[in-house]
Amino acid sequence: MNPILELTDVTRVHGEGANQVHALRGISFTAHAGELVAVMGPSGSGKSTLLTIAGGLDQPTAGTVSVEGTHLGGLDLQGRARMRRTSIGYVFQGFNLIPALTAAENVALPRELDGISARAARKEARTALDEVGIGELADRFPDDMSGGQQQRVAIARAIIGERRLILADEPTGALDTETGEEILQLLRARCDAGAAGVLVTHEARHAAWADRVVFLRDGVVVDETGADRVDVLTEHAAR
Amino acid sequence: MSQNLSTSGGWRVALRLARREALRRKGQTALMLVLICLPVLAVSAAAIVWRTADVSSVEGIDRRMGSAEALIETSYADKIVQTPDPESGGYGIPGEKVNEDEVLDIDDLAAVRDVVGRDRPVTVFGRDSLGFRTDKGIGDFEAFTTDLANPVTDGLFEPVSGEYPPGPGEVVVNQALADRGPGVGDSLTAVRKRMDGTEQEFRLRIVGVAESAGSRGYPIAAALPGAFGKGEDTTGRWLVGGGPVTWDDVQALNEVGLLVTSRAVLNDPPTLDLDPTAVPSQDGIDDITMTVLALVVAMVLIEVVLLAGPAFAVRAKAQAHTLALVAAAGGTPRQARRTVLASGVVIGSVGGVLGVALGVLIGVLAVPIAQRFDQSRFGPFEVPWLLLLVVAAFGLVSALLAAVVPAFSASRHDVVAVLGGRRGEGSPSVRTPILGLVLLGGGVVSAVLGSAGGRDTAPLLIAGSAIVSVFGMILVVPMVVGLISRLAARWPLALRFAARDAARHRTRTVPAVAAVGATVAGVVALGIAVSSQEAANKDAYQPQLPIGYASIALGLDADRDAVEETLTRFLPGQGVQAVRGLQTSTEAGELEIEFTADGEAVMLDYWSSIGSPYLVGTEVPDFIEMDASERERADELLADGGLVLLRGADDDGPDAPEVQVDVRRYDPAGDEPKDLASATSKAGVVHVQRPTAPAPALMSPKVARSLGLEVDTVGLVLPGPVSESQEKDVQEAFGALAVQPYFYVERGYQADDAVQIIQFVLAALGAILMLGGTLTATFLALSDARPDLATMAAVGARPRERRRVAAGYALFVGGIGALLGAPVGFIPGLAISQPLTRHHETGVSSLDVPWLLIIAVVIGLPLLTAAAVGACARGRLPLTARVE
Amino acid sequence: MSVKHALLALLETEPMYGYQLRAEFEQRTGETWPLNVGQVYTTLTRLERDGFAAAEAENAEGHVVYRITEAGRDEVAAWFTTPVARTQPPRDELAIKLALAVTVPGVDIGTVIQQQRSATMAALQDYTRLKRRAVGADPRELAWSLVLDSLVFAAEAEIRWLDHCEARLRRAALEAGRQNSRLDDETSSSHREFHRPAGETPSTSGTEGTSR
Repeated sequence: MNPILELTDVTRVHGEGANQVHALRGISFTAHAGELVAVMGPSGSGKSTLLTIAGGLDQPTAGTVSVEGTHLGGLDLQGRARMRRTSIGYVFQGFNLIPALTAAENVALPRELDGISARAARKEARTALDEVGIGELADRFPDDMSGGQQQRVAIARAIIGERRLILADEPTGALDTETGEEILQLLRARCDAGAAGVLVTHEARHAAWADRVVFLRDGVVVDETGADRVDVLTEHAAR
Repeated sequence: MSQNLSTSGGWRVALRLARREALRRKGQTALMLVLICLPVLAVSAAAIVWRTADVSSVEGIDRRMGSAEALIETSYADKIVQTPDPESGGYGIPGEKVNEDEVLDIDDLAAVRDVVGRDRPVTVFGRDSLGFRTDKGIGDFEAFTTDLANPVTDGLFEPVSGEYPPGPGEVVVNQALADRGPGVGDSLTAVRKRMDGTEQEFRLRIVGVAESAGSRGYPIAAALPGAFGKGEDTTGRWLVGGGPVTWDDVQALNEVGLLVTSRAVLNDPPTLDLDPTAVPSQDGIDDITMTVLALVVAMVLIEVVLLAGPAFAVRAKAQAHTLALVAAAGGTPRQARRTVLASGVVIGSVGGVLGVALGVLIGVLAVPIAQRFDQSRFGPFEVPWLLLLVVAAFGLVSALLAAVVPAFSASRHDVVAVLGGRRGEGSPSVRTPILGLVLLGGGVVSAVLGSAGGRDTAPLLIAGSAIVSVFGMILVVPMVVGLISRLAARWPLALRFAARDAARHRTRTVPAVAAVGATVAGVVALGIAVSSQEAANKDAYQPQLPIGYASIALGLDADRDAVEETLTRFLPGQGVQAVRGLQTSTEAGELEIEFTADGEAVMLDYWSSIGSPYLVGTEVPDFIEMDASERERADELLADGGLVLLRGADDDGPDAPEVQVDVRRYDPAGDEPKDLASATSKAGVVHVQRPTAPAPALMSPKVARSLGLEVDTVGLVLPGPVSESQEKDVQEAFGALAVQPYFYVERGYQADDAVQIIQFVLAALGAILMLGGTLTATFLALSDARPDLATMAAVGARPRERRRVAAGYALFVGGIGALLGAPVGFIPGLAISQPLTRHHETGVSSLDVPWLLIIAVVIGLPLLTAAAVGACARGRLPLTARVE
Repeated sequence: MSVKHALLALLETEPMYGYQLRAEFEQRTGETWPLNVGQVYTTLTRLERDGFAAAEAENAEGHVVYRITEAGRDEVAAWFTTPVARTQPPRDELAIKLALAVTVPGVDIGTVIQQQRSATMAALQDYTRLKRRAVGADPRELAWSLVLDSLVFAAEAEIRWLDHCEARLRRAALEAGRQNSRLDDETSSSHREFHRPAGETPSTSGTEGTSR
């Protein structure tokens, strides 16, 4: 079975000369369908860089990134933008909803940007919102929602359009523990339903929701824990 | 005392914060400075050019009298009173009667010397308008006659090339004359025409080129006194040297009827104790001009404030977090307000000073360029510091005003919402739009009153209406922005986002929309006014001939052969047609013919450009346009030995089947007119196709014979076309004839170039201001929306999405501004067109709405601006600009 | 941990015999704190001695059923309302291990910490997985999940403490490196400490090949 996300020997160097900073040093990393992988590490360990590179928001200095078999390095800006609309879903710590758009419009954003009709996009958005349990808030503006509700909207936006890779950057950072758990449950459920998830967090409690936890230090993977992939799959199949 | 101390202390802190903020956000600060600076700069530079171009009495002394102490002129009175500077005040004649016999003339130099002293150097300084021969005919020039070798004339002319000063039989000319005819080394043939028709020619050798200190562009020549003979105008003009001519001397000269421009008096003018009725008072700026000026300043201020407003709003919003923290720590709303206002103080003072400094620089560069377009020589470079101070203060005031609204809204921010990181603003107030609608209503009422008002009240009422309407519009903008953004649900993504975002940031959006609105309103109002005036002019135009035709009115003594020869030379192959008619100007006097029908005189237009108002023939000439049936009737009458009276198309006077024709003659002595002949004839009134007929009457030869009047060729008509250069050639050739015939080419109504230029300038100015308003708002919005754009990028927006959003902002701001501004512009525009175009007799006024201009401004410009903004905006989305 | 009070609290719901008590306890707390039946009976005897519980007659299967006394109810109430004392630091093997590792030469403390962290993380993942199954409104399920939470938070706290140790050691190493040799590449010297020695595989890592 092919991994949905595969990073091979990825290096990312910021700056030049004396100011050079190695954010990632030859990292290899995979996430398979049905798997939620947590990436842990202190600040500056390169975990956010890993996520931006996986999402095509940043380019590796060396190494390859492929999402669902497509090499992001071989794509131009447009192509990478298309991947983000169709294959990769992003969830941020700060929710990053657009305050000028309603919940449904925020969710429909990737679909609309992809060029499908506004009506169809909105319909899909409602389904996605129902899926995260806040279908009734579709016409609210983000400013009129609680943090948990906003993050649910953000997750709905990340899953709309059958996207199979969800990248979550500290999605629970701005939430209280219980709301945070709910958000993780949503992510977990999404992965159980067949998506691959990458969760960047510095909280062990949240990382524990993952099938695998990858520890990052100074741009290298120092350790990895969790069930063997085979276990995950058998467990998944058994359920 | 302590209150004062704390107040100044508060300002000190606020100013320091504002200064730091200005340094921290350099791009934004630069934008604000530009917005405040540019108008200050433009006005400063214009003020410098204007003051430099404007020559004051003192500055103009040299160009008026060279190095002389005084310029003395004879008047046609034996005694006068004058102002210290006759040029800006003139002179008056005390007493009742002018004694022409005792008036001094050009030869009375002795009388001058009697007053000013015999030992002063004095030279004649004559001026005359003469003609000079060119290849084509005769051109006009201004002739100066004076002894340029005399040191008192130094400074009148500036030698350019060749010899200077000219000696006997020699002349110096300026470049303008040299360009049109003979150059250095050639001879100048000056032609003096006398009233009696005789001509005198003077040939002088051109030895050099010299420019007059006062004027350029018009042909000028200077030679020794007497070089151009003596004209009929015997006004004497002398330049006097040798020590100051005092005010007492001036008054002594006035006693013998001499007018004096004295250097000493101009430099140090005496306080006048003249009888104010004796001297015409100097016209000051009247009240209406003052009011209009004030309104213009107010409108410019509004525009500048509105344009700079968004930048201050964004600055205030950037400070909102700081202000909220200050408020949470116990700061008062006043302190918050002051912090934002301080931005206005800092930007305003720096912008004002910078604007004036740059304005002076631009002024220095612009003066020589402006001189090139102006015929009169500029004075010495002059910087009106006091005026510039006012202009700089204007910059400061506009920045302060631009900061006022953001300051108040910042002081009212919901502290919790700001600290909670919410970026929007509260819902708009309901009172503001209501007040706005009330003001708009007031504007309409004032406009209606103004349109009905007279010439004195109308400008005030209508200008007031314009200001009130614009203010009303500004107050309505928030509501309109909110309403329109609510329609956005079905719009394309970028436009929807732009609309909603714009509505969420009203303090930034409203001034930008209002700036565009005010611009559009101004363009529409002025456009309607200018077009309507143009329409009125067009309506009032009365062509004399069919379009393209040309006519020559031959005078009594005209040399017809020479005229025809000129025509065949310059307009070959044109069917020149002789116009037969009654010669009304005879040696014995002017003839007047009156037509009477049913005992009443028939009122007819009298003027004619074809030599005579009474044409004679057996059929209607083709240059008189009339309907076929009318022509048939007229031709019948003429063939029948009758008489045709011509009326304009709209002139519905009664028909006259039979008229009595009375001929009278006015003799040159001005005695009672003498009846010459009378006859009764079969007649008819015939209408021509145009509002006025080219001649009032056509008569058959039989009628002319029965009156015993001589029929002659009074003029020539040719069908054209005559180009403008041909017309100029013919005019110049006719100028060389002893008796100059009147040459007229009918070109129809010639739209004033100025009107088209004004419309173009209006559209261009509107475009620039709209672009300015839209651009500032758009780019401020884009920098504000950075996080949103980053989000869009993260969920897969194409890089060009930023361009689309930018274009969306521009379209929203420009579109709403234009849609609001256009109707607001109609209010004063429609109103002003009424008094402006009202015919002084008929009371009919014209209205022409320049729809093309309005559509271009309202629909075209926003689209164009949006396209431009979309094309210029960086098509790269911020990728990882997230707050971590 | 007071087994005495826990059993009393269970008896408060209904009278039970020893084996039953152990089953109930484990159902509510998971297999977190395994109790052996001997311990249960010793405790019951002690409760009876103190007058908190009373033994009743044997039931049909021949089990001695205990029920709570009035004094026992008061004791349970007092236990629930008294906060757990934190006067003595628990004897923590890990803390002692790390304290020794820092002082004893030749031990790669980075590896020690990482190994421990991976182990704790694995446990944490287990707890979370259990917790994901413990869904439902049944008060017993809820009780179980609260206990799991307690374990989760404890494990999390341990990981955070490990993170903290690591950060402090790292800073100390940086400073030491700076003092010792300014010519050395400081960052690489500090990194070195955390690179796993070649060939050594942490016991908890069973995913060799899926990453790296």
